[in-house]
Amino acid sequence: MPDTGTPVARSPIATAPPEIVRAGWAVSGARSGAVLTLTDCTPLTKVAVKAVDEQVLATVLDVPFGRAARQDWGLDDGAQVLVVGSGPGERLVLAAPGRQTHVVDRLAQLTGDALVSVVDLTHGRALVRLAGGGSARLLAHECAVDLGEAMCPDGTALRTAVAGLATDFVRDDRAGMLSYLLHCERSSGQYLFDSLRDAGVELGAEVDGFVPPGI
Amino acid sequence: MRRTPTSPVRRPGRPTGTVPAMTMRLNPQAGEAIDRDDTFTFDWNGRSYPAYGGDTIASALTACGERIFSRSFKYHRPRGLLTASHLDPGCIVQVDDEPNVRGGHRHARAGSRVRSQDTWPSLRFDVKAANGLVGRFLPAGFYYKTFIHPQPLWPAYERVLQRFAHGGVLSAHTPAEAERPRYDKRFAHPDVLVAGGGPAGMAAAVAAARAGAQVLLVEEEHALGGHLRWGGSADLTALADLRDQVAVTPGIEVLTDSVVLGRYEGNWLSVLERGRPDVHERLVKARAKSLVVAAGLIERPYVFAGNDVPGVLLSTAARRLVNLYAVKPGHRAVVFTANAAGDAAAADLERVGVEVVHVEDARHGGDLVRVLGRRGVRAVEVAGGATYSCDLVVTAVGWTAPASLLTMAGDVPTYDARAARFRPDTARLPDDVLATGVVVGDGDLEHLLAHADATGREAARRAAVVAWAWRTALPHRAAEAPPGTEAATRSEAATGTSAATGTGAATGAEQAPDADPVDVPDLPVDAHPELFRAGTHGIVDFSEDVTSQDLLTAVDEGYRGVELVKRYTTATMGPTQGKLEIVNTVAIVAQALGQSIQETGTTTWRPPYAPVTLGALAGRSREPVRHSPMQLWHERHGAVPLVAGAWIRPEHYGDPAGEARTVRQRVGIIDVTPIGKLDLRGPDVAKLLELVYVNRWSKLDVGRVRYGVMCADDGVVLDDGVTARLGDDHYLMSTTSSGAAAVWEWVESWLQTEHPDWRVLVTPVTTAYASINVAGPRSRELLSRLVEGVDLGPDDFGYMHVRTARVAGVDGCVLWRIGFTGELSYEVHVPAGYGLHVWEALLDTGADLGVRPFGVEAQRVLRLEKGHSIVGQDTDGLTRAFSAGLDGLVKLDKDDFVGRPELTWQHEHGDGYRLVGLRPLDGSVVPAEGSQLVEDGQRICGRVTSSRRSPTLGYSICLAQVAAHLASPGCRVSVRLPDGHTVAAVVTEHLAHVDPEGVRLRA
Repeated sequence: MPDTGTPVARSPIATAPPEIVRAGWAVSGARSGAVLTLTDCTPLTKVAVKAVDEQVLATVLDVPFGRAARQDWGLDDGAQVLVVGSGPGERLVLAAPGRQTHVVDRLAQLTGDALVSVVDLTHGRALVRLAGGGSARLLAHECAVDLGEAMCPDGTALRTAVAGLATDFVRDDRAGMLSYLLHCERSSGQYLFDSLRDAGVELGAEVDGFVPPGI
Repeated sequence: MRRTPTSPVRRPGRPTGTVPAMTMRLNPQAGEAIDRDDTFTFDWNGRSYPAYGGDTIASALTACGERIFSRSFKYHRPRGLLTASHLDPGCIVQVDDEPNVRGGHRHARAGSRVRSQDTWPSLRFDVKAANGLVGRFLPAGFYYKTFIHPQPLWPAYERVLQRFAHGGVLSAHTPAEAERPRYDKRFAHPDVLVAGGGPAGMAAAVAAARAGAQVLLVEEEHALGGHLRWGGSADLTALADLRDQVAVTPGIEVLTDSVVLGRYEGNWLSVLERGRPDVHERLVKARAKSLVVAAGLIERPYVFAGNDVPGVLLSTAARRLVNLYAVKPGHRAVVFTANAAGDAAAADLERVGVEVVHVEDARHGGDLVRVLGRRGVRAVEVAGGATYSCDLVVTAVGWTAPASLLTMAGDVPTYDARAARFRPDTARLPDDVLATGVVVGDGDLEHLLAHADATGREAARRAAVVAWAWRTALPHRAAEAPPGTEAATRSEAATGTSAATGTGAATGAEQAPDADPVDVPDLPVDAHPELFRAGTHGIVDFSEDVTSQDLLTAVDEGYRGVELVKRYTTATMGPTQGKLEIVNTVAIVAQALGQSIQETGTTTWRPPYAPVTLGALAGRSREPVRHSPMQLWHERHGAVPLVAGAWIRPEHYGDPAGEARTVRQRVGIIDVTPIGKLDLRGPDVAKLLELVYVNRWSKLDVGRVRYGVMCADDGVVLDDGVTARLGDDHYLMSTTSSGAAAVWEWVESWLQTEHPDWRVLVTPVTTAYASINVAGPRSRELLSRLVEGVDLGPDDFGYMHVRTARVAGVDGCVLWRIGFTGELSYEVHVPAGYGLHVWEALLDTGADLGVRPFGVEAQRVLRLEKGHSIVGQDTDGLTRAFSAGLDGLVKLDKDDFVGRPELTWQHEHGDGYRLVGLRPLDGSVVPAEGSQLVEDGQRICGRVTSSRRSPTLGYSICLAQVAAHLASPGCRVSVRLPDGHTVAAVVTEHLAHVDPEGVRLRA
């Protein structure tokens, strides 16, 4: 068997220099102190779970459709997972990079004999975090949804068009700072990222590198 | 570029000369909007002019004594300022490459080139002014009457008429990306949107914000304040106070130089934001819970002979020039006034040294007769016969309520003869639309501010009710968790909804707002003389050169309604869109018809309220594109991009024929990531497959792959692809690249609507995998160097089988042994993040085997040689399965499948075209795809669906849809080429031109 080197996973979003490898992924080593940042979080583990019966998911994952919540699934590094009620009968579990096996096993344990489909979509989705007080203003350029506190409080999950692209959308504030996770089909990841970056120019948005665990 | 006003300016390639002095510029005025420390020059018709920061193009030129800025639409009469605002029809100019710029509003910009539009050879000497000499022969309707006959000459007429059309010049030059004006779009969700930033608008915004509303305050001018900006000291004091309140009150976003274009159902409001430093124009799509219209009033021109001669100004224009821009509009003035605005204008003019030689007071029977002069006012004749020498005539004869937004919300303005204007009927407005300020009624500033304050509070109250209703209508999150569970309790607390009721109604966590409605006081209405037209005829529509005589002529000719007169004469159809001329038009038509203005009614206000560029409507260019994980590699290696739907794919790498030969002779790899992929799980997947495919699926073994074709209910081919069985209840379905989304919806539709009892879960995984087809006689040899855990030999891994394996160190890869190209080939599906790694490993490892990438074009050639059809190319929207060469695949003896009844009918009747292989007898001719097949020299009997020159065979080959009676092997058909020539072709034995027995792909 020829030596083809250790496989390094790549996001669909071109890495801002310098490129470094973290958790088996090529990521940007750039660090930004800007008040509004864009981070390519594609390396996060992304596992979709579907069930014919919505109540099964609502019960065992304890997160209703339209909401997202952090949970402690006993990962050895102590990082939490983010369970997203992304659709009726559909949840997405986000975890630190490389945790696919753990998440899939845990889901199997939680769902037992129920008819569920657990599919690892880590490589199938692009994931971007937008963080900073101007996030909602930036998104107002690309998204028609009312992102005000009353309509989209922290923990809101919804699916909508961002820059004309079907995008799953989670309001996921970090340490009291406004933040959104946006994910779309991998093939359009660069497009989504570029659209957000373009819209963020007048707001001073900068690219910030991914730092594991990143969730 | 900054220069002092009197400095000589020299620019390469431009006329040189002394910059004119600002001879009409006044000493600093209390409320002036210019920055005298910011001086610069710009070009006007090739000559440099000075300006101050904050000057409009019109104010800067007027300050230098210029009075003519344009020529009129039809007669090319000299035109000067009328309103000195955005509405001014006399100062529409070209700025650099941008036509139709409102010079009365647009700020002058250092270095910009401003030109008059549609004047030749110059603004001063415009030969088209000859139109005015024959004006009596150009009455209303001239255009329609003259150019309708003879119809064949219309193209010639059109070319001539185009030369007379106003509208500036669009440059054919496409500026570089960095030089292009930037257009943008954004969304806003204010609780209250206030349209109009005058005193009432500001007061309403402050009141609404203080009541807790998020407010978007939109003002068309460059600054808040409305008429207070050009008022006296008391007005300026009030203005400063209101501006302070707006500034310090949280929750108010102010957009100046912006205008609300339209109001649509559900209070969707389009707002055009202009002149930001980073964005030329931005369309704001706002959904407001309440709309407050505080649009103020527009001063109305007076119709009399010579009313368009440069030097005839509205009173508000004179006051704006004096007080905002410190510009003296003339030297000797006559003021015709019917109201306080005219009185104030006369006072302002006298204060700044303009000699007011006469005030003609309409309130005491005064009137104007005519202005004398052509290129500028020389004198004016007033009622009673007196004539006054002057260079400035100021009129103040009344107002028009810009009720556009209100009428878009359902209002029908009614004419109030006492006030001499149409006024909105606010009782007709929906709950989410309110109005305040002088658009509603009159009164002093105290009255207006009290009304606005109450209106703002009421708007906030109504917005709160709407917000509550919207929040409680959100998806019922709590209901997702069983009532009584911890999740349900938490969600109920968060959303104020009840899982138990399932209604989404609020349950106590958030009560419906119950504040009492605000009592909004009435506004008084001041009496005002009805003044529309003097005893002489003059211009009614300054944009379209429509005279009062034109309106009377139209009525005489039988156009007995204002809408008909409008269309016949084009009155109110120019750039001002009726804002200046609608009331005068209606009044003159009413007089001609012998009926009241109320009986005559108005024309209809429709969006947009103000002109909007196509750039603003388009916003940023946002067209989603899709790339495979190997896209950057393709770009770096010279791939010619192919736009395939949203996907960007490599069409070829410079030599598609060579790429095809490599696959036939050695080995090639192609990026086929766009192939649609659906992960299917559950015990009833086989039932689903049996339903949506025309062939059988119940006996597909684990580890096997099968080709399938889907048809719609009408038997028309919908999609095709292979599906692999990865486990007992686990399948991976592939679709065409373009059909991935449609097939997903198709499958979900059947599951959710017809068979919700089937236990099948579908997850699209198209881009979870990077897909690479390794094809060619040496593909097995290449792949075996990188694959671990699978024996690739034909016995263990035969044709139409599937395996999972580790490839180039990457776990979780799926290998299908299939062959679209007709060669021994493997489709490798790699977790997408590792796609580039595996792609490069294949090329590195197979270098000694001669591996090279091939693009979509080579793939098309190869599959055509093999006779594999492409859904959508070799089929169309009418092609049923038996017309697509699928006779052996369709299993009519199955109990059921989608399209079975139609296909049974087609099978029994044998009608429709047939897909056949076709070979032109002259192998050097490649008929264009889409070429018609004809018989008897005339009748169409089919078409070429695919055609290429085969690199393997050395001659041209085709697939074609042909009438059934000509589909037998050996039948000769004629192919009509696009150039009209005809070539003969013969139907081949098989669809496949190469390896019809399939020896190569089964190797």
